[in-house]
Amino acid sequence: MRGLTKEYVLQRFLMYLLTIWLGSTLIFVIPRLAPGDPVSEMVGRLSLDSGYIENADKLIASWKARFGLDAPIHVQYFRYWGNVFRLNFGYSLSHFPTEAWSMVSRALPWSLGLLTVATVLSFSIGVTVGSLMGWRRTPRWLQMILPSSLAFTAIPYFMFGIMLIYLVAFELDWLPATGAYSRRVDPGWNLPFIKNMLSHAILPVVSIVLTSMGGWALGMRGLMISVNNEDYFLLAQVKGLSPARIFFRYGVRNAILPALTALALGLGGLISGSILVEFIFAYPGTGYSLYQAIISQDYTVTQAIANLIILVTATSVFLLDLLYPFIDPRITYKRTMR
Amino acid sequence: MAVGQRTSDDASAPAQGWGLNTWDSPWLNFKFLLGAGIVLLILLFGLVGPLFWDTDLAYTGAGPLNKPPVWDEGGLPEHPLGTESNGRDMLAQLILATPSSLKVGFLAAIIGMGIGMALGSVAGYVGGWWDHVIRTLSDSAVTIPALVVLVVIASYVQMTDTTAMALILALFAWPGPTRLVRSQVLTLRERSYVRMAHLSGASALEIMFVEMLPNMLPWLAASLTGGISAAILGATGLEVLGLGPTRVPSLGLIINQATTNAALVRGLVWWWLPPIIILMVIFVGFFLMTIGLDEIANPRIRQFSSTRRERTAAGELPPVEPIEDGTAGEEEAALEVDDLHVHYFTPRGEVIAANGVNFSVRKGEILGLVGESGCGKTTVAMAILQVVQPPGRIVQGAVRIEDRDLVSLSGRDLRQVRWRDLALVPQGAMNSLNPVTPIREQMADAILAHENIGRAELEQRILNLLNDVGLPERVIDMFPHELSGGMKQRVCIAMSIALNPQVIIADEPTSALDVVVQRVVAQTLLEVKERLGVSMVMIGHDMGLQAQLVDRIAVMYAGNLVEVAPVESAFAEPLHPYTQLLIESIPSIRERKPLNVTEGLTHDLRDPPPGCIFQFRCKHVERICRERRPELVERDDDHLVACWLYEPERHSLIESEEA
Repeated sequence: MRGLTKEYVLQRFLMYLLTIWLGSTLIFVIPRLAPGDPVSEMVGRLSLDSGYIENADKLIASWKARFGLDAPIHVQYFRYWGNVFRLNFGYSLSHFPTEAWSMVSRALPWSLGLLTVATVLSFSIGVTVGSLMGWRRTPRWLQMILPSSLAFTAIPYFMFGIMLIYLVAFELDWLPATGAYSRRVDPGWNLPFIKNMLSHAILPVVSIVLTSMGGWALGMRGLMISVNNEDYFLLAQVKGLSPARIFFRYGVRNAILPALTALALGLGGLISGSILVEFIFAYPGTGYSLYQAIISQDYTVTQAIANLIILVTATSVFLLDLLYPFIDPRITYKRTMR
Repeated sequence: MAVGQRTSDDASAPAQGWGLNTWDSPWLNFKFLLGAGIVLLILLFGLVGPLFWDTDLAYTGAGPLNKPPVWDEGGLPEHPLGTESNGRDMLAQLILATPSSLKVGFLAAIIGMGIGMALGSVAGYVGGWWDHVIRTLSDSAVTIPALVVLVVIASYVQMTDTTAMALILALFAWPGPTRLVRSQVLTLRERSYVRMAHLSGASALEIMFVEMLPNMLPWLAASLTGGISAAILGATGLEVLGLGPTRVPSLGLIINQATTNAALVRGLVWWWLPPIIILMVIFVGFFLMTIGLDEIANPRIRQFSSTRRERTAAGELPPVEPIEDGTAGEEEAALEVDDLHVHYFTPRGEVIAANGVNFSVRKGEILGLVGESGCGKTTVAMAILQVVQPPGRIVQGAVRIEDRDLVSLSGRDLRQVRWRDLALVPQGAMNSLNPVTPIREQMADAILAHENIGRAELEQRILNLLNDVGLPERVIDMFPHELSGGMKQRVCIAMSIALNPQVIIADEPTSALDVVVQRVVAQTLLEVKERLGVSMVMIGHDMGLQAQLVDRIAVMYAGNLVEVAPVESAFAEPLHPYTQLLIESIPSIRERKPLNVTEGLTHDLRDPPPGCIFQFRCKHVERICRERRPELVERDDDHLVACWLYEPERHSLIESEEA
């Protein structure tokens, strides 16, 4: 009855597959719906850059054959899916002997680290601030201070990032502006490297956390206000429980459930935003690699990264979904009842 | 009454300080209007700018290179905001770029909203298979990282103008509105006015547009403003990456050119900062609009902010003065309520919910507190428990258990008394248990807050309590949603006796249950009371049930007690005209009598009339009833009533006053 049921897991898993299918298909279909085709487009751009290309037609035809773009669209589609499943996207165009996948997997840990830290921080700080803002018993001085933490809420991450680079890195020279670590340290598990790495991560993390925590805080505030009016919240007071226990076990514990759903739904947006943050900070994660693949017109790497990001996002959402029934006992119960 | 008079005068003063959004339309929300003003101002800058400034200067080679703004050293008056590395005038660029950035956002969000409204209303209204498909699609689409897909698309499709960009952005703007419209339609569909419209033969489209749309408007508007800023963000993101239209000026493109030309390192602040500032102002504007609209759509948030304001105002009132001559009550009283006044400080005035309520509960008895809805009986219960919700406040009076005045207690002292001396069987058992924790924890909570006992003992105690109310032991590990209404209510009863309290307040303990379960629950309450000898206040409006359960009955009308009597004499010989009315209206199977229903409250609770509170509904009203308030006086053995009819001297009282 409680925890995971077979039905629930199956249903979430189907959603997981659907999300991946939808995202990957969009990436496949839209370029083909557009007038022209990717290869002609790329060759066209090449000839714009270099003025003129000999045998452009032959080049287009051979590239099309190379990528299988001359096959009928449904054949292309099935091949594409075969590649996605085997995580095999072929060779990188701009770094030829390297496989696209190996380039991508090098970038992934940086992004995962940066995003996990930033998301956990922004969600937990935001939820704490919001819960306190929506609680009647929060001391008045705290109620006055808390809204100031929402100051940067409306600003997109990357704009805040640019300003942080300018102020903290260039004007004040406190922290490094770009990259994941300096050239002068040896990558590895040694203290100087870790310190160096952390100092590089501070500005990107801060720019994500400060600008995104306000959203969680506002949402949580509304949820907490609703819980404040619930009968069980009143009964907890009458029971003579300590304010802390009422706040956590009766207030936050209930209010956080929709916030977790919102987190699952918002992960895509968070990851989208991080692409720009990585670009601004030249942070060598997947977002930055995606940008570089696109400006160097590396068709295979672009596909690989985009699919990978979609896969990672969907997986995180799926994991959150699996966690949910343990936090809210009602979720799977309702489903088994019907 | 000098104290009461002063308090109420002081308290009414802050109520006038209420702002716009209480007595006017809710759309006059300060945050919403401020945000809208900011967005309009930015729009105006882009629209009116070309009339005052030559926008041809926005193109390469129009001026000298890298000139700072006019207020910096080396700035030129013909380029007030400076120029960048291609000699383009910054002011002209910003004037051209601003409206195009806004246009993309509006266009994409409106298209997305249109799709969302269509899909969402189909899903919500038609339901079935359609609902399943649309919901699944939008649920999974919403988690796809939009910018990744956008970036890939933009790298293939050369976007020539802002419309193409908006169309592509709209691909990701529909799931949010779809989910919103669907859930709103599902909620509204169950509302009675929509059902009525449906029954009266209105078409689906008519219902959608006439009955539903106006009610969703604030939600839709909030979703739209949120969508616009999300679309602007997406577009700007692509532009910053250099993947947007490169021939059309846009704020993101300026940032892209600045960063790729190393403007940050070179100190060309005037190049990268102005577009960022404009974008930030736009985002702040839309953000303010969105949270303002959220407050409009969700009155609870509005109410919370305002009760905080109210509470601050009420907090400035002097604390309730303890009543010194508190020993006037009966010796064997378990609970004494002494001259209790509770006021609600609402924006439209001060509502007097309890006006000098006096009663005591003797040891081991059940006192019934009855009256029609809105008479203040639940307010009295909440006041006894010290949980009057803002904007309500106890302005005067005392609530005593064993000579301790609960009104004067706070913090730890009050927590100690709670539940140990005074427990509650709540009104809405359906929602009174924490939905996410098992019964074990909720019962342990109450015990452990007051006693320090070991795990095994605690477990045994909880099992005994469940047993006491006739519940099986397995309930201990169940969650509230796994229990029926009657079982939940019995869990609440078990919880209330966990610490052997002096007094239990039972607030309409059976009102939400069906008749059979009502009997079981009432029986459980009686058994518990007999065994423990606990005193109880039983609040309710069901006179029939009260007659069977209580020892004495207290009748409340419009915040005042009008009669307190042993239950036998109250039913055999009700004195107050209102009590008579209540008893007459008990339905009987033996005889069919016309329902003697009169209209409910006939006066404004904010402004009670001088004289008797019941004068407008009373058949026996006399002159003195209109002029002087009757006191609660003992007219018979243990039978108190507040009515002039039983005062033999009433005529001479008036005359002596006139003389």
